[in-house]
Amino acid sequence: MARSTAAPTDVNEGTESILGRGTRVRGRVRGDGDLRIEGFVEGDVAISGDVTIEEGASVKGDVQGTTVTLCGELHGDATARGAVVVRAGAKVSGNLGGSEVSLEEGASFEGRIEAELDLPPELMR
Amino acid sequence: MGQTIIGQGLTIEGEITSEEEVMVAGTVRGRLSSDGAVIIDAGAVVEADVSAGSLSVGGTVTGNVSASDRVDLLTGGRLVGDVKTARITIQDGASFKGNVDMDV
Repeated sequence: MARSTAAPTDVNEGTESILGRGTRVRGRVRGDGDLRIEGFVEGDVAISGDVTIEEGASVKGDVQGTTVTLCGELHGDATARGAVVVRAGAKVSGNLGGSEVSLEEGASFEGRIEAELDLPPELMR
Repeated sequence: MGQTIIGQGLTIEGEITSEEEVMVAGTVRGRLSSDGAVIIDAGAVVEADVSAGSLSVGGTVTGNVSASDRVDLLTGGRLVGDVKTARITIQDGASFKGNVDMDV
């Protein structure tokens, strides 16, 4: 099948998902590909790709990804197989874990940083 | 205005509410409501009640749907559930099981 008609916008084969500014999710978000969060999420996020929490976005829950980039608000833990980056202006309360963790000047952070983690090989269920 | 795209590999279980267009190419279970258009792409699986401004179904939807403007069932689309909307089109090759309430 896979004959998409009438859809005005194209989705590139599920590589990136976007939860836009006007969108609110209460529940679990998981799966493959990258995810950009611009809106509000209450619940855990576990993605095999890169996760970005944009400025103005807010997440209450734990976030897992290959890399996690935080520009907005996070109440919960961020765990990455690669880097966790907390950008200037971000507000994070929770623990950060990854192969690299960086905090930019101007970010606010409350929690623990665990840079050496024995992550299970399967982040995803 | 922004846009929300639930990509092919993504699964959301829970409640999604949006003020903007929502395009689903992945999987949604629970509830999905948007003030704008909701587009269910071919290959998408939605097991949820959907309410939207307009709804177009190219994938699989199981649940009751309502749209203030219109519902379009596209070729290859599959909808099992009741529909409440002002206008509806069902294209050749779409599957549909349920009741239609056009509020007449």
